[in-house]
Amino acid sequence: MKRSAPLIVLAGMAALPFLGLSSYVMHLLILVIMWSVSGMAWNLLGGYTGQVSFGHAAFFGLGAYCAGLASFHLNISAWYGFPLSIPFVAATALVMGLIVLRLRGPYFVLATLALGEIMRITAENLTDLTQGNLGIMIQRTWVEKTGYYYVILAVAALTFWVVKLLAESRWGYYFVAIREDQDAAESLGINTTLYKTVALTVSAVITGFSGAFYMNYMGYIDPQVVFSLGDISILTIMVVMVGGVATYWGPVVGAVIMVLLAEVIRSLPYVGTAYQTLFGVLLIVIIIYLPNGLVGDRQTLARLFKKKGAAV
Amino acid sequence: MWVQLEVFLQTLISGVLLGGLYALIGLGMTLILGVMKIINLTHGQLMMVAMYVAYWLFTLFHIDPYVSLLIAPPLLFLLGMFLQKTLINPVLRVESILPHNQVILTVGIGMVLQNMATIFFTSDYKSTPVDYATDAWYLSDYWKDAPFELSLSYPWTVSFLLAVGITTALWFFLAKTDTGKSIRATAQDRDAAALMGVNVGLMRVITFGLGSALVAAAGCLFIPIYYLFPALGSQFTLIAFVITILGGLGSTMGAILGGLILGIFESMTATYVGMGWAPVGRFAIFVAALVFLPGGVASLLKRKAVTK
Amino acid sequence: MRRTAALFLALVLTLAWAGQVQAKDIVLGVPLPLTGAQAKFGEIIKKSYEIAQEEINAKGGVKGDKLVLKFEDSQGKPEIARSIVEKLIDVDKQPVIFAEYTSACAKAVAAVAEERKTPYLVVASAADEITQQNYKYVFRLNPSNAYYASGLLGFMAGVVKPKSIAILYESSDFGTSGAEEMAKSAEKAGMKVLLKEKYEKGAVDFKPILSKVKAARPDVIYMVSYVMDAALLMRQIKELRVDAGLFAGGAAGFAIPEFVDNAKDAAEYVVTATLWSPQVPFAGAKEYFETYKAKYGSEPSYHGALAYSSLYVIADALSRAKSMKQDDIRDALKATDMTTAFGPVKFLDKDGYQNQNFMETLVLQVIGGKHQTIWPEKYASAKYVFPIPKWRDRK
Repeated sequence: MKRSAPLIVLAGMAALPFLGLSSYVMHLLILVIMWSVSGMAWNLLGGYTGQVSFGHAAFFGLGAYCAGLASFHLNISAWYGFPLSIPFVAATALVMGLIVLRLRGPYFVLATLALGEIMRITAENLTDLTQGNLGIMIQRTWVEKTGYYYVILAVAALTFWVVKLLAESRWGYYFVAIREDQDAAESLGINTTLYKTVALTVSAVITGFSGAFYMNYMGYIDPQVVFSLGDISILTIMVVMVGGVATYWGPVVGAVIMVLLAEVIRSLPYVGTAYQTLFGVLLIVIIIYLPNGLVGDRQTLARLFKKKGAAV
Repeated sequence: MWVQLEVFLQTLISGVLLGGLYALIGLGMTLILGVMKIINLTHGQLMMVAMYVAYWLFTLFHIDPYVSLLIAPPLLFLLGMFLQKTLINPVLRVESILPHNQVILTVGIGMVLQNMATIFFTSDYKSTPVDYATDAWYLSDYWKDAPFELSLSYPWTVSFLLAVGITTALWFFLAKTDTGKSIRATAQDRDAAALMGVNVGLMRVITFGLGSALVAAAGCLFIPIYYLFPALGSQFTLIAFVITILGGLGSTMGAILGGLILGIFESMTATYVGMGWAPVGRFAIFVAALVFLPGGVASLLKRKAVTK
Repeated sequence: MRRTAALFLALVLTLAWAGQVQAKDIVLGVPLPLTGAQAKFGEIIKKSYEIAQEEINAKGGVKGDKLVLKFEDSQGKPEIARSIVEKLIDVDKQPVIFAEYTSACAKAVAAVAEERKTPYLVVASAADEITQQNYKYVFRLNPSNAYYASGLLGFMAGVVKPKSIAILYESSDFGTSGAEEMAKSAEKAGMKVLLKEKYEKGAVDFKPILSKVKAARPDVIYMVSYVMDAALLMRQIKELRVDAGLFAGGAAGFAIPEFVDNAKDAAEYVVTATLWSPQVPFAGAKEYFETYKAKYGSEPSYHGALAYSSLYVIADALSRAKSMKQDDIRDALKATDMTTAFGPVKFLDKDGYQNQNFMETLVLQVIGGKHQTIWPEKYASAKYVFPIPKWRDRK
């Protein structure tokens, strides 16, 4: 039963468009799935391997620009951004890995953060290539959302499978060993640099897919949108942290919270601009009481609800 | 020839003045990051809060922003202690897979602070139009036949000097007082400090308060030369990180040097490469420092002291 | 537990009440950046919509139905702006969309509106491409960025006759395209572009770049900046005593009242391109300005006038439309021919643009601490001051 859960969810998700959902709901679902993909990708590096990156916008943006520039300069469909992004993102990840993977703790965090910002400012300044802040605008392929939905659903399924495969393989144990105690792992003969690089590269490539999808779906990008520290890098981390670090379903739950719940809170009448305060408080509460996220701390969550149930 | 010299010297002056102010922003961060290993992404938002304090004191009671140096930092000290005690400490205490929960927590706090500021003060751009905002000293006023012209802004210079003064005071506090020594001990080795009878918990609360007060002071020095709106915080948070790493975690001296290096470097990039690239330069030296000089400038100073 | 239940009940009741709007009202959702870095402009636009809404309703609304505006915060993020518009079109069945401020958001919204065949009236987003996409359902009231400085160029050609120009601009979409257009026009007019430098918004210290500008000695310094950068630039220009024949701004930051409040005496004699000023001779312009000032205690910028007028355009189109269907409203918008407080409005297809309103743009100069219209001379409220005194000779 447990083994087939992902398949059941996938089948359910695949059937959703047949319910005749409104285009608004489809839009939100697409965003949820897109953020799940980014979250799962980040989780591989951050959750399993313990390397908390604040610079995933670099890969997201690079993927988006690969797609956008393919259409803009090469006059081919932006969908080619998916295959095209792989070498570029992987190369960037390798270079970045050389710089950051030797660093630990806060140094690693700050280095990734800086590299993300460097990518943004570079994209803003290489105006011949990227048009700078004028951004890239492309014609979207479909009017209907169903096509986009299935594309991103397929990417998500693939990502889920890759993460699961990696996490349950021997490599997955190495990842966790590195997270728990890097020196111990090293002394056991694990080539920590190699496995960290693997985790980073896979994570980066998948994040790049997410970005390439964003370009295709939104039809417009500029460096401040796709290389954003707050709206991409940090949002990705929040998706995972709120959902559940190092869990299969955490990023999915996190994406639901960060997209759907945010949208619901935003649409509350008479809250006005204060909804961000509400959302911020919600975040703080989750972090304090469920430090491993909703999925990671589901026992705690269950206990809380049971207690309440008993009191009533 | 003279013209080029003028450009160079003026750029240098700008860089030094900017660097002094940067240093003060970085100081609070270097304390917090050095002592508690907390990546405080709400640093800039705290500065924003302090700037609003200074702004309202100016607008309502005509208190000069430089005088609010006596008011805003103590208030922010309390706010910082409160945040640390009620929100950050509980998160640090719980067991979690990743120790980075606190980073996201500070993002949440920053979100709330920024949104509150938008609600209460609207998103209007504010500034304190002090009379001396555009006053400056000019070389030609003192040296009639000067072959070139240099100017030294009045408020920038005052802010710079005050920043230097505050930094020196902090250095004395950390080096000479018991509390200061306890903070440094906590930064070096928390467990050892605790064994030595240092109240580590209290030191952490005080440190966060102190960090907030320092960035509040920076806010008071910034508002006469800059402006204010709710979303202003995040860019200063990033600058603070750069200085902290450049200077070395927890090092006062390092923060000053880091600030100056960054200020001069950015100004030079702006003049000789292009202002759009200045932020790239900022992060590039940041990464370079992380990789090649992990202890920051402070480690160079120490190395010298040892060889002496 | 009981308290939670009560809270929940209250929430449900509010939701239910909010859903029950009177049947006769025309409810229109308006996406705007109300938080975040662009919130300032979102607020001006929101306030101006509210004034227009009251006035229109007081005059009997649209065919007797009242307009009810419902503002939604997009935070200036394209993703969220798109969410809001998808909801408005799909769930609320709103037949016409308007507002949004940043060009990034407007581009996202325009694409959705076109795909869903829902007319969208752009307010104040300047990026040229928005109305160059062969979109049939996207209309724009303000001239695009390429036209912002046309009045200013006229002033330079007629009065200043400069030989060289230095351009400083904010690295945003608006700043970049404004600077590109100016560089092109300046070269065409025989000026030499000595410097073209961009900066990141929020920059603290412009003095390095300004001392470079000073050394280059341009006749005109043209700056495209948002609000406070404009004030900072002028303050630091004064501080460095950078003298030029003309300090010119490309709308946005230089044209809003806060510029003068914050730059103070450094703002004196600065000219700026703008799309509107309260001195324009169109019916309602002055009245709108006074109402806004009385109601909110501050002066509106051209963004506000645009928003104010655009609601009139919408109301006009709605009252002429054969039905509340999207295509009928589109046809009505296309046939718009009216004069608003912002000037005459007609949506034309020309010069590669579609459904674009073209108009003359103005030049303001700060004289005696106030923005005065100085160009074109037929609209002038004061005689321009040129040449301007050197910094050293000012008091």
